[in-house]
Amino acid sequence: MRRSRVLQYVFLAPAVLWILLLSVFPLASTLYYSVVTYALGKGVTGFVGLGNYLDNFRSPTFWHSVWITLVYVAVAVSAEMVLGVALAWAVNKRIWGQQVFRVLFTAPLFTMGVALGYLGVTIFDADTGPVNYFLGFVGLHPPWITTAFWGLAAAVLLDVWRWTPFVFLVALAGLQGVPPEFYEAAALDTRGEWPVLRHIVLPVIQPVLTIAFLLRLMEAFKVFGLPFALTSGGPGTSTLVYSALVYLTTLQFFDFGHGSAMGVFFLVAVLVIVLRLFHVMRRQLE
Amino acid sequence: MDDRVTRRELIKRAGAGAAALGAGGLLSALGKGEAAPKLLPGHPLAPYESPITPERVEFLKGKPYRGVTINVMVVKATVGDCVKYHAPHWEAETGGKVNIAEVPIETLHQQIFTDLTTGLGRYDAYQTGAWFYGDFFVPKEPYIVPLEDFLKDPRHPYWVPTDQIKSMRTLYTWEGRQYGALFDADCQILYYREDILTRPDYRKRFKAKYGYDLPVPPRTMDEMHDVADFFTGWDWNGDGQPDWGIALHAKVNEQGFFHFLTLAAPYVISPENRSFWFDPDTMEPYINSEGHVKALEDYAKFVKNGPRAMLQWTLGQGWNLFLAGHSVMEPTWGDLPTLAQDPKASKVKGKIGAAQIPGTKRAFNPKTGQWKSYTLNQVGNVNGGSWHLVLSRFSKNKEATYDFMAFMANKKNALFNAANGWTGVQPSMPYEFFPPYGTATVKDYEQYGWNAHDIKVYLDAYYKDLTNPLQETYLRIPGAAEYWHELDVNVSAVLAGQMKPKAALDDVARKWQKITERYGKDTQRALYRKSLGLE
Repeated sequence: MRRSRVLQYVFLAPAVLWILLLSVFPLASTLYYSVVTYALGKGVTGFVGLGNYLDNFRSPTFWHSVWITLVYVAVAVSAEMVLGVALAWAVNKRIWGQQVFRVLFTAPLFTMGVALGYLGVTIFDADTGPVNYFLGFVGLHPPWITTAFWGLAAAVLLDVWRWTPFVFLVALAGLQGVPPEFYEAAALDTRGEWPVLRHIVLPVIQPVLTIAFLLRLMEAFKVFGLPFALTSGGPGTSTLVYSALVYLTTLQFFDFGHGSAMGVFFLVAVLVIVLRLFHVMRRQLE
Repeated sequence: MDDRVTRRELIKRAGAGAAALGAGGLLSALGKGEAAPKLLPGHPLAPYESPITPERVEFLKGKPYRGVTINVMVVKATVGDCVKYHAPHWEAETGGKVNIAEVPIETLHQQIFTDLTTGLGRYDAYQTGAWFYGDFFVPKEPYIVPLEDFLKDPRHPYWVPTDQIKSMRTLYTWEGRQYGALFDADCQILYYREDILTRPDYRKRFKAKYGYDLPVPPRTMDEMHDVADFFTGWDWNGDGQPDWGIALHAKVNEQGFFHFLTLAAPYVISPENRSFWFDPDTMEPYINSEGHVKALEDYAKFVKNGPRAMLQWTLGQGWNLFLAGHSVMEPTWGDLPTLAQDPKASKVKGKIGAAQIPGTKRAFNPKTGQWKSYTLNQVGNVNGGSWHLVLSRFSKNKEATYDFMAFMANKKNALFNAANGWTGVQPSMPYEFFPPYGTATVKDYEQYGWNAHDIKVYLDAYYKDLTNPLQETYLRIPGAAEYWHELDVNVSAVLAGQMKPKAALDDVARKWQKITERYGKDTQRALYRKSLGLE
């Protein structure tokens, strides 16, 4: 009995250690640094309580970064959900080349955000990039990464290209779990694919789509590599997503105080949003 | 300019050069109260060093660093490639080994100071930008070590720090002590298409439009704007495409802010005011003064004289526009004329003009709050990274590491670096400039592919900038990277039309006050005053 209890602790120890080292300790450390001032070479120079939080809340750059991130997340995740489901619906039929399409649609998922961002610098170049070359045939010439709006648009487009396959895969798995009898029964009452999709298929696969949505949401809030590689947060701070602001503050300039306060704010804000969404979606499912 | 040299002139120059070299070394040595070292022109044991001391020759016989490995962090850029080029030569001479880690410029500061602040000390030396210096000296014991003791040891490669042009040497020192070994020497000057500005038909059209002769080069900011405007939007190079008046590499977080620092200097620096950044008495930011605001308003006007895309261009992209022959001017570093010598990358070899950055006829004194008129207020600068190696206090192989640093500072390697464009290294020693300023010859550069005309105009303007008695002081206090980042971001926002200049610089001033408070106002003020020579 005693030996069995010791064995239990031995097997639990790695997991507990993992959580302590990689979750509890960093969280505690972040909370500590969020209430002190820190300067490169000097270390901690004083206790300021909520001073770092208040400084951040008074900073226009901070709120601008929050806003940019919210816009990025809202537009990108919405587009990925719609496109992913649409592509899955289109591929979930007996069509020629079905397997090939499934592989092709999944490929972007294996790209790295930073690499994609740097590639975007070339393809979205307003004067020499291929995007504007082709858009030029229809008379369009957006000033992509040199303006706030178009810089964010370019980053969102690349993000959608990269992450739509994730939603596609999840939605496809969901669609393939819909019993064929549902479609047979629907065919008796209606014609056309949209009513079937809207009233039968989507409600059936909603739990699966909810998971995909929440996972994408949480991941999108953390976005960093792609937009930062594309624009370095510019022009100005027009594409400076929240993670990039935290990175610059904490790791580039060693302002651990304000950076840690930003991290804590981010944790609380995303937790509130996600928990609220969980609650709403659970009620819908019930 | 006539390149032919008579025999009498050649002998005269060679004699002057030898005398200058010997005298320079003698004066430098005597200035330190030491006997002049005996120097050999070279030795087979050290094919990459010249001159060399006999003690060095003896030292190398035993492959003194066999079994020693040093770790060096460099920028992933041309200047890092240059260090990589020299490493195997030093290894062959000394028996030592050099491990080189390349780091992108965006994360270099972070990587250096993470290694130092954590005490990991994985690197013996770091290739630093000059604006990182203040951060090395924040702790009680600085993160880097001075080089004087190593300089006294004749077993190390020979070089003379005091020979370096004073304005540049300052960036390699801290409170009068030498911390950096000679390498890069950045300043920004104005490069232009001399062939285009001297075309009679274009000059005629310019005069008809503006009422005065097309200046070659522009001497004032107003002239620079007129020239940029005149050459924007039409095909002046005959390739069928409209061309531009200016090229900039203005991307945020990519050294784009140096454009503003360079072009703003003559609006604020003057014989009456040497302080660009802060009030040296109160440490209140000057950055939002009337002069700085006017400078930013004028700088923003250049946006229409180049492709919109240049707001997000890195260095290479900005240089490409000029090198491809599509812009008539570019204020930038000496990499531009050196890259222009490569026929694969450039259409402008032999067509370059170079001059100090244009001045102004009025400058603002932030201390008095008054504008003052001048005939021409022209200001020199040492803006840029001036990348060089510094020695970590955590290094367990300080002597070997210094040896490698000094190896690249030795005259033979230093001249090689300055003469070859791919190294990203610019000159700052007398033997790298032509007479009457130095002892180099056109052949020293022609052998590496330089066009004689281009190298003469480039070095002449470069020297005049570095030796201009009126200099824009480099910001050398802790947190300089952060101060400049805040300025960089808001200047970029102004160029993109997102902020007005006054609001942008007011915001920068507020942020700078916060940074100063975090580092300690009194400490920052003391260091800032020292950097201005006030204490």
